[in-house]
Amino acid sequence: MKPGMLERVNAEKKGSLFLPGIKIIFQLSFFQGKRSKKSRLFALLSFSPIVIALFLRIHQTLSPERSFDGLYFFNNAILLFIFQFLVLVVTLFYGTSISTDDLEAGTWAYLVTRPIPRATIVLGKYLSSLILAAAITGTGLIISFFILNLESLTRLSIYGYLIKDIAILWLALMAYTSFFTFLGAAIRRSVFFGLIFSFGWENVIQYFPGSTQRLAIIHYIKSIIPLPSTGRFSFLTFQLEPTKPAYAILALLGISIFFLALACLIFIYKEPRAED
Amino acid sequence: MKPRIVAEHLSRWYGNVLGLSDVNLEIGPGITGLLGPNGAGKSTLLKLITGQIRPSLGRVTIDGQPVRGRAELFSRLGYCPEQDAFFDGFTGWQFLYWLLRLHHFTEKKAAERTEEMLRLVELEADAHRPIRSYSRGMRQRLKLAQALAHEPEILILDEPLNGLDPLGKRKMIRLIRDFGQEGRLVLVSSHILPEIEALTRQIILIHQGKVFAQGDIHEIRDLIERHPHVVSVRTRDSRRLAAWLIQQPYVVKAYFGENDDNLFVETRDRDKFFHFLLELVAEGRIEIEEITSPDDNLQAVFDYLIGKP
Repeated sequence: MKPGMLERVNAEKKGSLFLPGIKIIFQLSFFQGKRSKKSRLFALLSFSPIVIALFLRIHQTLSPERSFDGLYFFNNAILLFIFQFLVLVVTLFYGTSISTDDLEAGTWAYLVTRPIPRATIVLGKYLSSLILAAAITGTGLIISFFILNLESLTRLSIYGYLIKDIAILWLALMAYTSFFTFLGAAIRRSVFFGLIFSFGWENVIQYFPGSTQRLAIIHYIKSIIPLPSTGRFSFLTFQLEPTKPAYAILALLGISIFFLALACLIFIYKEPRAED
Repeated sequence: MKPRIVAEHLSRWYGNVLGLSDVNLEIGPGITGLLGPNGAGKSTLLKLITGQIRPSLGRVTIDGQPVRGRAELFSRLGYCPEQDAFFDGFTGWQFLYWLLRLHHFTEKKAAERTEEMLRLVELEADAHRPIRSYSRGMRQRLKLAQALAHEPEILILDEPLNGLDPLGKRKMIRLIRDFGQEGRLVLVSSHILPEIEALTRQIILIHQGKVFAQGDIHEIRDLIERHPHVVSVRTRDSRRLAAWLIQQPYVVKAYFGENDDNLFVETRDRDKFFHFLLELVAEGRIEIEEITSPDDNLQAVFDYLIGKP
């Protein structure tokens, strides 16, 4: 056989390498991701909303004299836990690892010396991280929703809430994963700065008055979460000036695209350090 | 033969640290050895050629095209990194299969080719074991397999013989030589001279980020004027031969070995020296039993070039 004559799919045509590149990187990254220790740990973490829901259920069973509104508890406790903790932790570790894991493991050279554009490495890994993060956070969200709304499962309207929550979860995962992918590509010690961003910036800025609160991603998420700002948990859902839902959705999509594009651009020029 | 890899004024710094300095190279088909001590800049040069890093100055091209930003070029290129790194938790089969998929092989073709390559590097019995349970030699063979698997025209190997036992080295050398004999370009780096000697006579000597010499080991040796070529001549009439030779302007030194039959001659012009010696033999003025070049090996050339006494 002559050199380079093995059968392959249009590997010499640059234009045809982009989508197949994303697809194969996605498949490889998903194959790696679902078996990784990180995913196993997060899978355990995904049970935490279920544990909270079960706790609330047991509490209600032991105190039957109190009225129990499953949807209220779901919106005010479970959703906040998922959006302000679980999503942040999962996307932080998945996102920042997209462009750093292979560099640190020394497997970077295997990827960047293949006939696939460099940006496809980021995009393929981003998609697989998104799906893994959605599976992890979505499982907790769906199961806890059913646990807390057992009495209302025959009401069709309840599923509308669930679908809306799942859609918001996707938007949140997209925006945060993009941002953390960018952070991982742009700076060293991205996990450290990501933690500061997640539990410092995001938690503080959202309560600033005026337009400052719009500098936090959580602001746009909270703007579309169906949360009544009353009751026992209202201090957690306190919103000064929510953005209109349509604009909030556009903002989340814009954040996703902007930071993902930026991450791709940085990754194209990324190089291993001398010590790598 | 037309060079396929061309480096022009190629330089690379890592901050203030010089990795490579003003390298000009042309590399054509066949096996070329990139030889230099640790930290000489070999890996930097190979990373520049494979587009993993950008040059600070100058440029490097493969078949006339810059490598970076041209993903399609990598279907012609196979690269075996120096680092002993693999995807976490993968078996040998999975590792090869996925890297072939990244070369746009269909699932079926990738699986078939994976089996073929595992047979070639004698890892078929261990194909489904985790790579972390492999010996160093097995891992090196697996790394080579991933570089060869897509039948590249250009093969770049960074210290592929590192850490191998003698048998493993022999197997690896055979694989690389077989591959290089098919008209392909193989660039293989090492800091161990006999490894390169076993692979090729075509060498590039690199030290402190600079290319000291490039070409056939003999040609390079001839270039080194301040280190004349040493030839050992065994003859029963060594003293008479020494008297004739020392009168020639291109002979620098003549001395005797432990055995009086052995005459060592240092010459600045090997061709003229051998021509003169042949004339003596042809005219029947002297009988020669054996001629050898004790310094006609890579170690001597390398020592001379880096200034080692």
